[in-house]
Amino acid sequence: MAPPPSPFFDPGTHAAPNSLSVLQLRRDHLIPAVLSASTESEYAEGKVENTRFGSFPHSTLLHQPWGTQVLASVVDTGSRGQKSKKRKREGDDDGQSTPVHETERARKDLVKAVTASSGFAHLVPPTPETWTLCLPHRTQVVYTPDYSYILQRLRVRPGDHIIEAGAGSGSFTHAAARAVHNGALEEAHPAITTEAANGDEHSMVPKARRKRRGGVYSYEFHAPRAKQLQVEVNEHGLSSTVKVTNRDVYEDGFCLEDEEAPDADAIFLDLPAPWLALKHLTRSPPSPAVMKSVASDPATPEPEPSAHIAQTSSTPKLFRSPLNAKKPVRICTFSPCIEQVTKTVTALRSLGWLEIGMTEILSKRLEVRRERIGLQEEGLRGANPSAATVQEAVQRLRDVEGRAKVFHGLQKEKQEEIARKVEAKKRGGKVSPAEEDQEAVSGKGKVKVESVPPSKHDRLERAKKELDNRELFKEGRLVHRTEPELKTHTSYLVFAVLPREWTKEDEEKANRKWS
Amino acid sequence: MHSYIRPHTHIALRLPSGIVKILEIAPNTTINIGKFGSFAANLLLGRPYYLTFELLEKDDERTKTELRVVPASELHAEALGNDHAAPAESRDDPAPTEGGVEFDIVGDDGEVIMRSNRLTIDDPSRQKLSMEEIEELKKAGTGSGKEIIERIMASHMAIEEKTSFSLAKYTLRKSRKYLKRFTVLPLDVGMLTDYLTEREAYKVMELREDTLGLVSSWANIHCSETSRVLTGEDGISQIGGGRWLVVDDTGGLVVAALAEKMGILYPSEEDDDSGSEGKEEEEEPTSATTSAQPGQIATKTPVLPEGTTAPEETSIKPEDLQNGTTEASSNLPPPDPPQDDLPQPTSNQTLSNAPPNPPRPRRPPRPHIPQMSSPTNTLTLLHSNAQPNLAHLKYFSYDSGNPSTSHPLYTHLKTISWLQILHPSEDATYAEPETISEETLATMKSSKRGNYYRKRRRWERTKSVVDETRRGGFDGLIVASVMAPQTVLRALVPLVRGGGKVVVYSANVEPLVELCDLYSKERRAAFVARQFEKPQNGVKIKREVKEEDSEPNTPLFSSYEDGDEDEDFPVNPTLLLAPSLQTARARHWQVLPGRTHPMMTSRGGAEGYLFTATRVLPVEGKVEARGHFRGKKRKTGEGSAVQV
Repeated sequence: MAPPPSPFFDPGTHAAPNSLSVLQLRRDHLIPAVLSASTESEYAEGKVENTRFGSFPHSTLLHQPWGTQVLASVVDTGSRGQKSKKRKREGDDDGQSTPVHETERARKDLVKAVTASSGFAHLVPPTPETWTLCLPHRTQVVYTPDYSYILQRLRVRPGDHIIEAGAGSGSFTHAAARAVHNGALEEAHPAITTEAANGDEHSMVPKARRKRRGGVYSYEFHAPRAKQLQVEVNEHGLSSTVKVTNRDVYEDGFCLEDEEAPDADAIFLDLPAPWLALKHLTRSPPSPAVMKSVASDPATPEPEPSAHIAQTSSTPKLFRSPLNAKKPVRICTFSPCIEQVTKTVTALRSLGWLEIGMTEILSKRLEVRRERIGLQEEGLRGANPSAATVQEAVQRLRDVEGRAKVFHGLQKEKQEEIARKVEAKKRGGKVSPAEEDQEAVSGKGKVKVESVPPSKHDRLERAKKELDNRELFKEGRLVHRTEPELKTHTSYLVFAVLPREWTKEDEEKANRKWS
Repeated sequence: MHSYIRPHTHIALRLPSGIVKILEIAPNTTINIGKFGSFAANLLLGRPYYLTFELLEKDDERTKTELRVVPASELHAEALGNDHAAPAESRDDPAPTEGGVEFDIVGDDGEVIMRSNRLTIDDPSRQKLSMEEIEELKKAGTGSGKEIIERIMASHMAIEEKTSFSLAKYTLRKSRKYLKRFTVLPLDVGMLTDYLTEREAYKVMELREDTLGLVSSWANIHCSETSRVLTGEDGISQIGGGRWLVVDDTGGLVVAALAEKMGILYPSEEDDDSGSEGKEEEEEPTSATTSAQPGQIATKTPVLPEGTTAPEETSIKPEDLQNGTTEASSNLPPPDPPQDDLPQPTSNQTLSNAPPNPPRPRRPPRPHIPQMSSPTNTLTLLHSNAQPNLAHLKYFSYDSGNPSTSHPLYTHLKTISWLQILHPSEDATYAEPETISEETLATMKSSKRGNYYRKRRRWERTKSVVDETRRGGFDGLIVASVMAPQTVLRALVPLVRGGGKVVVYSANVEPLVELCDLYSKERRAAFVARQFEKPQNGVKIKREVKEEDSEPNTPLFSSYEDGDEDEDFPVNPTLLLAPSLQTARARHWQVLPGRTHPMMTSRGGAEGYLFTATRVLPVEGKVEARGHFRGKKRKTGEGSAVQV
């Protein structure tokens, strides 16, 4: 009855049907695939993932242990149109007669996948990192170096509740879900999946009785994006952890219908104007003066929001804080521009947040390779054929000189010989000794040519021949450098903490207790 | 956790000078913060974290030192004050501008936009107060130090000549010196990391908080308390279940960071406590409950946790074991005794009302929750000394020499030495101690009997951990070690499950560059080629690949130290996919109105690098990458995919 655990949290030993898996083709080239054994496909092999590195029918991926290297299969991608029509008709007939036959046919299809001569991929379980690399981009993605630091600084721990506003493409959503996941209350209401489907006005499941269940409360202003995220969340088995809400948080704040939600311990705002959302993230209704100061922030001469604030802060009788009253609440805002940061920080200060600080993450990936330099690399790819040392350079120069000398010498001899011949002719007669001489000379010349340093042609030839016996993987100098594409700026991260509210009465109580 | 300051926990005090002081807070003691004074610990207990307190020393009005909570508005007064009045720092302080000072930048309406430093005179004599006078003031001063600062500022001859920038710096400098304030911060992993890197970075391999975050992300660390216990195809070895292998030369800092993410770092009583706290709140949300709570709960702290956590642990364990491995259950003493007897010590606890956190001496005859027995959500720590160095876990109430049974790490942290994993037969604790029959036992002295049981238990524990570890199937491997990484990976990568993550941290880049090279594409190709060319050699290499499949009691790693391995391939390069090398650093900024810029100085030292990769199960046989012209084709059906 319980839904299978999310492949993000507990992927099991094998790739399971109807659950997300990831095909890793190259380091940064990954393809997400919800594997299915169904035959409803245009291909004879059932569902197929077609890639630059070959076609991978789902039948070759399903029930494989995670991490398996999967070989590509021969899939007829050309004539699928015809085939599908034919197959569909067949399928309909079969479906009407017996469903058992249908599965049999599926089996037959599994057999059909023929291993191709080349191409492979690796089947890996989804993680927030792999998902970040292969998710469909809807907005700017929060990448691993940023979200790992944010979650670390926000001290998000299993069982916590985190607000995420501006869900965007959902990379942070997945990372946050992993961070708060504590598996409490695994027998989650099945209603949640249907209920959460169209966001807004739905309540969460009855709350944890004993152990608090970790939760991500995700808000997205853009309705289609919110919907898409909800689809992904369901597909990834995260629906009991992530609650997607389509809402304008500037206006409507963060409180949900459910009394206990979101009860947040941490907040992540990836919004264009985080300072406009901050007024909803307080422990008690902020005083009008503070509201004004927050609203009349430098360079936001908008009387509208402030008027609206005045309304909202006065009209609702029941103020409900979206924050966990028992713990210090931490916030992080993610803004690309320094102006946004200034405004956010000012608003945070006015609203009594502490430990305010701003940070940016500079991350880079390094590539490691072997740099081969030397004359022996002449004519080979991926290496530098310049002289590696001064000695080598000198030797090469000597060789060139040597060759030149030999050739000049030869030339001279030839000329001398010609001159001699001419002279001999002039003198007449005595041809035979000259001939002998010539022969001797030519023989001598050949000997000389052999001892001559190698020509370029010879060198190239030799380099090619030697290549077979060389172990290139350990030759050359090991070097590392920053990868060519560098993310020099992602966003500024503003962090702050809001301590528990502490009143005079609290102080008196504590005083009595501890003295 | 960290909802308020509890007795017998470690807290961090940040002094005005920026220095952080870590101490364990105990009731009825005095806390001394150096030149700023001292105060009673009870003044902090039960209060929330992140508040800034001001020391009010005793005088005519006060009979003893008191603490005043400094409200946020006061802390931000300087930053906000000038900001609310004017859009920028321009109108900063219009009062003294009448004094005929010249300004460089003046707005259209004659408003001063920025004061120049043209008139600044670098002369210490401009401060009219002498050192003696200041000392006098300090002695006489009863307040928070604000008076002194005010006096100093007032006595500065040219305070109004200062630009707002230099004035701010001046005020800050004086505040750091004289203000009697401090902030109480919870001691969590982030705080501890900052503290340690500041003082003894070399002891924690110069790990920074940003690197720690990155490590745990790439290692896919998460709480797996409820993960399924699944076995591999051999029916014995466990696959996954949220188990990570750790090699930690940072004194337990990495273990702490990982444990925090897995929800097993903080003593469970805290969780339970705050949970019950929450519940009580929810049930009666009418009155000013917040004020009533802290006191009540504080009373319960010593009592409640014992009662609640211990039975929970025992009830969970057998259940988990039933679903899961058959193996581990043999290591448990018959499951009933713990259940029957455990409440006993806890009720003793209640009576004696002992504080929960200082490690209690372990009473040998007490029925036993097996240490290191959790089947899921565990960390297995490899250590190179006879005992693991987990010194930094003391800040989280875990004493590795004498762990309290109520701490979650007691069952979730497993330790195993390199000798035990590679050559268990050479380890004395792995050898089964002799069994003594019940009858003879009955005749023995109780101390001897206790000894006997302790030995048996230690052996059971060691055996179960060693066997489980050697069977592999771990979800990931995290290495932060000064040892050569390839030797570590050679031994441990085979123990990681397919799709598991491998993360290696190093303070310097060179060891990891070498490691990347050992897993390079070219080397992998050469390795595969060699496997085919020389079948005899291939067998040897294959044996390494198949280590996992061997029987648990045969020396799995026999080939490991023999040194006859191909020196070109110290590790099997086909076992890891997408090895990459990265680094990240957080750059901190100062954000003040009109004065926003990156910090002028920060810590240098080691940059800190991360090697990440995914463990994969290579196809046995030759594999052609697409794009190459076809070579010798080998038939490879699904069946031939390797192992596990």
